[in-house]
Amino acid sequence: MARTKGYPEALDKKLRDQRYYREDSNPEFLKKLKTISRTIPHMCYQCGTCTGSCPSAPRSTYRIRNFMRRAVLGLENEALTDPDLWLCTTCYSCTDRCPRDIAPTDVIMAMRNLAAQRDIVPVNFLKTVQAIYSSGHGVPNNDVNRAAREKLGLTRDPPTTHMYPEYVKGIQKILDHYGLKARADRIIKEREG
Amino acid sequence: MMAEKKSTKKAPSKKEDTKKAAPMKLEVKKQAAPAAKPKAAPAAAAGSTTKPGEARIGVFICHCGTNIAGSMDIEAVQEASKKIPNVAFVDNYKYMCSMPGQTVIHKAVKDQKLTGVVVAACTPRLHEPTFRTATKDAGLNPFRFEMANIRDQNSWVHMHDRVGSTDKAIDAIKIAVAKAALLEDLHPKSVPVEPTAMVVGAGVGGMQAALDLAAAGIKTYLIEKDMSIGGRMSQLDKTFPTLDCSQCILTPKMVDVGRSPNIELMTWSEVHEVEGYIGNFDVTIRKKARGVMTPAEAEAKGISGGGCNGCGDCENVCPVIKPNEFEVGMKPRKAIYVNHPQVVPLIYTIDFDSCVKCGLCVTACGPEKRAIDLEMKDEFVKVKVGTVILATGYDIFPIENKTEWGYKQYENVITSLEFERLICASGPTGGHLVRPSDGKTPMRVGFVLCAGSRDNTGNGKPYCSRFCCMYSLKHAHQIIEKIPGCVPYLFYMDIRSFGKMYEEFYYRIQDEGAKFIRGRVANILEDPKTKNLTIYTDDTLLNRPIAMDVDLVVLAAAIQPAADTNRTRKLFGVSCSMDGWLLEAHPKLNPCGTTTAGVFLAGVCQGPKDIPDTVASAEGAASAASIPIHMGEVELEPYFAMCIEEKCAGCGMCVNLCPYSALALIEKDGRTVMQVTEAKCKGCGTCGGFCPGGAIKMNHFTTPQIVAQIDAFLLGGEQ
Repeated sequence: MARTKGYPEALDKKLRDQRYYREDSNPEFLKKLKTISRTIPHMCYQCGTCTGSCPSAPRSTYRIRNFMRRAVLGLENEALTDPDLWLCTTCYSCTDRCPRDIAPTDVIMAMRNLAAQRDIVPVNFLKTVQAIYSSGHGVPNNDVNRAAREKLGLTRDPPTTHMYPEYVKGIQKILDHYGLKARADRIIKEREG
Repeated sequence: MMAEKKSTKKAPSKKEDTKKAAPMKLEVKKQAAPAAKPKAAPAAAAGSTTKPGEARIGVFICHCGTNIAGSMDIEAVQEASKKIPNVAFVDNYKYMCSMPGQTVIHKAVKDQKLTGVVVAACTPRLHEPTFRTATKDAGLNPFRFEMANIRDQNSWVHMHDRVGSTDKAIDAIKIAVAKAALLEDLHPKSVPVEPTAMVVGAGVGGMQAALDLAAAGIKTYLIEKDMSIGGRMSQLDKTFPTLDCSQCILTPKMVDVGRSPNIELMTWSEVHEVEGYIGNFDVTIRKKARGVMTPAEAEAKGISGGGCNGCGDCENVCPVIKPNEFEVGMKPRKAIYVNHPQVVPLIYTIDFDSCVKCGLCVTACGPEKRAIDLEMKDEFVKVKVGTVILATGYDIFPIENKTEWGYKQYENVITSLEFERLICASGPTGGHLVRPSDGKTPMRVGFVLCAGSRDNTGNGKPYCSRFCCMYSLKHAHQIIEKIPGCVPYLFYMDIRSFGKMYEEFYYRIQDEGAKFIRGRVANILEDPKTKNLTIYTDDTLLNRPIAMDVDLVVLAAAIQPAADTNRTRKLFGVSCSMDGWLLEAHPKLNPCGTTTAGVFLAGVCQGPKDIPDTVASAEGAASAASIPIHMGEVELEPYFAMCIEEKCAGCGMCVNLCPYSALALIEKDGRTVMQVTEAKCKGCGTCGGFCPGGAIKMNHFTTPQIVAQIDAFLLGGEQ
């Protein structure tokens, strides 16, 4: 940082980017992504088809091509700590169109897995875990929905754990097996006190 | 497989020694084996054989710089080689293929009275001819040379295993020495070459090849499946980077082809059948029924002064209307038609799939010319040629398969070939670029590069089509020039402007105002009311997803081998590579040759090429194809099968197995025996491996030689 002595912090930060590849690159990161995603992130040639296809990109700062680039270069910290990682809707448009036949969506999912191992998960995702644990639904039914269903001639609740709450126990068993609920509870507690 | 070889092949004559060699211990026997090999003697009528125990083999180990020496212990290999039976001399050198290296061989053969030479170096594909010549120069028969590949299949593969690669090299040398001790003198046969050539496909590549051959004094048959010569280039408006009018530079060549006395032009024709081999191909050509006679054909039928003169009276009266393929379906044509006014030959053609045989054209043609014959049938013509050039060209990849770009769903999405016709003064719109939906002039045009190229999804082509970048730059120039205020947007991944003056052309077009957006187009959507299009992509340099409205989209579609390529290549026994393009003999050192002697490749059929490269490749192919003709005869590798007549039972089973139709049964001295047409035989060994009586000898790959190689490996070679 010597060369930026006396400059504002923002400039410091910008200049640090020049050294990203040398200092932050972790080749193991790419290998792990390959294993988890079962696709070929190292083959990305940065054409931009993914971001161009992405329904999230025009509405957010999410740039999937950037994540693919970070994968290629092994920029583990930069990828896993970027909050944009959680803006993918997993619609798989990029996977459909990628000319290199990569599944970028699966690479994002792999990154989320690795981030979660380091407890880097937004709280809203964790609350979804809690919701699934308690009701079997990420988005539980509500009265507006129930009214709409009735209007359409459907049962007020769908034939899921809502109609058969006795099966919630099964879902809880699965989540407990992987310690997901306990993990979610712990992180939320740490963050929200 | 080995067992089979032992039982079937050996059984006949030499069973004694080889059978005994089976037990592991009998190394001495192995030694005896070569000695006992005189079996080769009877068949050796053609050449001399080394007498038992007299083989003196020289082993020459090449370092290939550090290619070989860097990964193995050359000293150890040399010491081990000295102990191999029959080895009389061992030496090593930094570059065996160099002149000093060859001198080492030369001197050793003379001084040591060697009977065979083994060079342990690279691959025979590279240097077998070199060392054969060296062997010959030293006074031995060139086929007394055997190569041990200790580089490509050893040092390069086992770069990090010094001990292993050293051992493997020693094994390879043992095997080569075992064979070298049994090698026989062979004498290549020469066959005369028919002094004519054939070029299949009359695009710019085929035309150039035919013109070159003709100029070299060789009679050339030029076969074209379409009604006119000219190919894809005649569909183009201008050519990059010089902006020459494509037709203007092509038609003089077309006229030359039509006029050349040495070129026999056969349009509306296809290769039907091919027999024979280099120097002597018998090709049957199907002349598709054209329905119209040339003046010459009319003359032959006794209609003097008749035949088609291209007046077009027939076309005017024809009631059938069809889309014109030459104009990519954007213009109508009649059932009797020519592609465009400059066709060569200027002879009308009837599309019999749509002709209703009303006879109006016959009446219009009149009693003088009587050129039209509605009952014409396909004809088959046989010609004999010495060499063949394939110049079968390319088709456009069906880009509608990439549904995200909307070709054939949205009217205003066109391919670049359609663009060529629309911008061409002789095209369907007289050179006015218009939107197909409403005929309006587009003011914002999007060019989608790499449309279907560089695509590994399976729905697309993995290769770069190589000329799309450049013609898209040219298209951008053309719209800037023709439509004031019109802006071209080029969506690209990389601009590959690699040729002479290409990068300068890129500079020029950018200077003229073309906009370049680095991002592959993700998808295109149409506004159903206005038929305007929205292009979605990522401006990767701004790192920003963009949605751009344009009036017209031009897809620079990938190319693929022409539809009939596969059929044609099989007729000539030419292979293709994974992507379907025809396979050259060597991608760098023999790009015009094929693995079938006498068949050459010109132009795009071998892989995407722009016009300069196509013409260059055609001239290369013409030069290569003229060599055997000018030499007058070709030497065939003497690896053909030989029938040992006293053992042949005349069962004829081999005859049907031969993939080259080289075998036949004949009557000889009251017996039926098999006979090999040596010029047709490729020495594949199918017959020799199968023959139940062991009556077929494969020259240079005889059973004793192969068994000795196997024994040398399995039983070791030390005395």
